[in-house]
Formats: sequence, C-alpha cells, structure tokens
Amino acid sequence: MDLVLQLLFTGIGIGSVYALVALGFVLIFRATNVVNFAQGEFSMVAAFLMVIFAVDLGWPYWLSALLSLGGMAVYGVIFNLGVYYPLRHRTYLPVIISTIGASILVTNTMLALYGPQPQVLAPVFETPGFNIGPVYLDSQYLLIIAVTIVLVAFQYWFFEHTLLGKKLQATSQDKEMASLLGIPVAAMIMITFVYSALIGGLAGILVAPILFVSIQMGGTIALKAFAATIIGGFGDVAGAIIGGLALGVIETFGAAYVSVPYKDGFAFLVLVLFLVFRPQGLFGERVAEKA
Amino acid sequence: MPLIECKDLVVRYGEIEALHGLSIAVEAGEVVTLLGGNGAGKSTTLRSISGLAKPAAGDILFEGQSILGLGPEEIVRRGIAHVPEGRRVFPGLSARENIMLGASNRKGLSKAQIQREADEMFDLFADIRPFADALGWTLSGGQQQMVAVARGLMAQPKLLLLDEPSLGLAPVIVQKVFAIIGQIRERGTTVLLVEQNARMGLSVADRGYVLETGRLVLTGNPAELWANEDIRAAYLGGHSRAKAAAG
Repeated sequence: MDLVLQLLFTGIGIGSVYALVALGFVLIFRATNVVNFAQGEFSMVAAFLMVIFAVDLGWPYWLSALLSLGGMAVYGVIFNLGVYYPLRHRTYLPVIISTIGASILVTNTMLALYGPQPQVLAPVFETPGFNIGPVYLDSQYLLIIAVTIVLVAFQYWFFEHTLLGKKLQATSQDKEMASLLGIPVAAMIMITFVYSALIGGLAGILVAPILFVSIQMGGTIALKAFAATIIGGFGDVAGAIIGGLALGVIETFGAAYVSVPYKDGFAFLVLVLFLVFRPQGLFGERVAEKA
Repeated sequence: MPLIECKDLVVRYGEIEALHGLSIAVEAGEVVTLLGGNGAGKSTTLRSISGLAKPAAGDILFEGQSILGLGPEEIVRRGIAHVPEGRRVFPGLSARENIMLGASNRKGLSKAQIQREADEMFDLFADIRPFADALGWTLSGGQQQMVAVARGLMAQPKLLLLDEPSLGLAPVIVQKVFAIIGQIRERGTTVLLVEQNARMGLSVADRGYVLETGRLVLTGNPAELWANEDIRAAYLGGHSRAKAAAG
C-alpha cells in the first residue's frame, strides 16, 4: 500500500508534465485544426534557456525562470509568424509539415550549440523532499503538481470567465463567424500560440531537473503528451489533463511492477489499445456532439 | 447617397462566375430584400459586402466610401453586421455568450456593459430568455436563429445583412422571426434581407430585387413585384409550381 501511494504521487507528478504539454497540443489544435509536431520543442527550448540563464550565466533561479518564460513568449510569436501564419489559408497538411520542419530545425540548432551531451539543471529547492507517513514527497514533483493545479485553475477561469477567453473559444469553434463579429482572428491564434509555448515551456522548466536537458527531451515529452490527448479524446481540454495524469500513473506503475527499461513502452501500449478499442478517447462523445 | 451601393459586382468561385456585374443600392432606413432561387447569387452578394467573398471586379461603397478589399473584421467595425446563412451559432458557447460576442466590433466596452446589453436583447427575443445559459448546439433551429439575429444587433450596425433567416424553420417560428425583423425596422436599422420565401421577404420590405443566376432581373416595391405574374410563378414561389418542383 505504501508503495502504491508512493507510485501514485510520482505518477501524478510526471503526469502533470504530460498534461501541461497535452494542453498546449489541444489548444493549438482547436485554434488551427492542426497538430503541432513541434510542441515538445517548446519544453526543450525552455529547458535550454534555463541552462543558459541559471547554469551558464549563474543567475538566480527565479530570474532565470522568468527570463525563460519571457523567451518562450517571444518564441511563440516567432513560431506563429514563421511556421503557421504564412500557411493559414492552406489545408492542414502543409502546416503539419511546417511544424515538423520547425521541430527538426530547432532540435538541430540546439545540437549545434550544446552538442549531444545532456545538460544538468539543479532542482528548485535545496531540500530534496520530505516524508509524510510512509510516502516520500520529492519537492520538485510537489512543485510540478502545485504549478499544474494553479495553471489549470487559471485556465478554467480565463476561458470561462473572461471575454478574451470566450473570443478564443469562438475563434476555435468557427473562425469565419468570429471574423464576421469583429473578433481579430489572427491575434486570437497568436495568443493561442504564445500561451501554448508558455505552458509547454513551463513544463520543460519544471521537468528539466528530473530528466536531463537534452535535444531528445522534446520528442519524448511530445509523444507522451500526444498519447495523453488520444487517451483523453482529441481536442478535449479536460481530457488532455486527465489523459496526461493517467499516462503518468500508468507508466510509473508499469515501471515499478513490470519492467523499468520498458517504461516508455507502456505509454505507447496504452496509446495503441486506445486507438484500437476506443479511438474517440475517454471524453470522445462530447467531441462528437459538437461536430 | 445610398447607405450601401454595389456597383457592377463580379464574383467568381474558381471557374464559376457567381455574380456577373450586379448593381444594387440600399438607402438608410430601408428594408430591402433580395429574392431569387438557388444559385441566383443572393448569398454571394451579402458575402461580398461583409468581406467574406472577394469580388473580381466592381466596387462596394458604404456611406460613400469603398470597402472593397477590406477584411470582415474591419467591415463590421464600420457598421455592417452579417447574420450568415445557417445561423452559425458557436456550438460550445451559451446563448448569452454568443450574443455578448456580437459586440466584439465595438471598442472600449466593459464586460458588465456588454452583459447588460445582452440581457436587454432578451426583451426583444423573449422566447430565448429561458435558454440564455444553454449551449449553442443544444438550441433548436428557431432559437439559434434568434440568437444569431440578436448577436448581429449587438454590433449596433448601421446595416444588418440577414441571410435566409427562415431557412429550415417551422412556419410559426418563421412568423416570429419576421415579427422581429419588423421590430428591427422600427428601430431604424437598415436591413438587406436575403430570402427564398418571397412572401415573407416582401412582407417586411420596402423594396425588392429579384436575381437570377448572378444578374438583376427585376426591381420594385413589394406590390409591383407581387403583381408580376411571371415573376410570381418563377421566383416568388410561396406556393407556386416552381417552389413545389424545387421542394
């Protein structure tokens, strides 16, 4: 039982990271009808920015995190203008290829700058963690869970209770109608990209001390997040969060009880099972109703 | 000076020419209806005015100024609201939220103010007041139409473009929608109305234009149009043979 609680904590911690990245996937998908294959690189770039500011330059952690997030906002703008905007009137295929190209470009830029060796980023807190009863709570995992809760709460408030949130929703539901009402569609999509880059970047900053900071981290995280969105039901915000958490828990339990080397394999096993037996995901009906 | 004037408008969709040099004008305060069968170019005319379709030739003047080439976001800011065919209510937003977003073209409004105006819309559209918090996709066709028109009015347009407001609605609901158009007319809003249901369209209009395959074939006041036997048979359907054959 103690082990179960411990694994649950760890699983939810890592699952929170998948949930954040999956959220970024879903928001961009809803706004542009395109899967952004460079989503994982949002996390990777932010983690490398942290290495630059906190390790290379030795600046304080909080300042480095703020600067990295600022950098991600700029990255989101550039990404939107460079990768999506010129192709916005085309079908989804050129845009998807464009995001794949962006992913390759960014990954190899980091490879050229930092080489293939993984970089190390220290955890945020001096105290590595503490025990509550039999469960050891790692402070970095606690931070990840706390940030995710705050962010999900913020996002709920933002989308449900602000006019801007409603305009973003309207844009994702019917762009032409939104433009007829005077909603600046291009600006709404820009905001979506920036927000998506920010939460992806935040996930990268949070997970960097747990994983190593490497050029592969984006791809790994993105694949897990992609699996999470399939589990949750593609395009569903709540589904992405629950899918991400579920995936984190599943792979943690799988690693503990079945096999550590096959840890990543469990995510894809679950992905395949869902695609075969429940392709609409956990929250699939809601998406179907909307169509 | 007419409020809106289309001059020799030509619109092409790929190889197909949907409008071959259409000229129409609507004076401020008028309710004008565009009549004609499927493919006559009625919707294309409205889509050109609101900036959704890009005319290949001709000009569109709003308050004497050309709005040709402007995007829909800019055109609605200038005071032309388009309630498109099919209602296009945002499915995942509530009726009230849909209506509130209608004010997106007006700058510097607080959320509270927009909310107040949206609530006032439910005085005009009393039938949808009980469904204010229901999501768009759960509403019936008639309720969606009322939300769509209310949303259009929230823009406080000088010109309201209404595309087929009666489409797919039960006759009793059609009566209600047209009663509302009558009220909009009394508020002094200029309306350009596209209708296949000619009887209803003419019942609220000051004038009508009859279109056939992208050309203007007849214009006049409702009584004149209604008096023309050929036209009545061919376009003003109602219960005529043409309508029966099409239906």
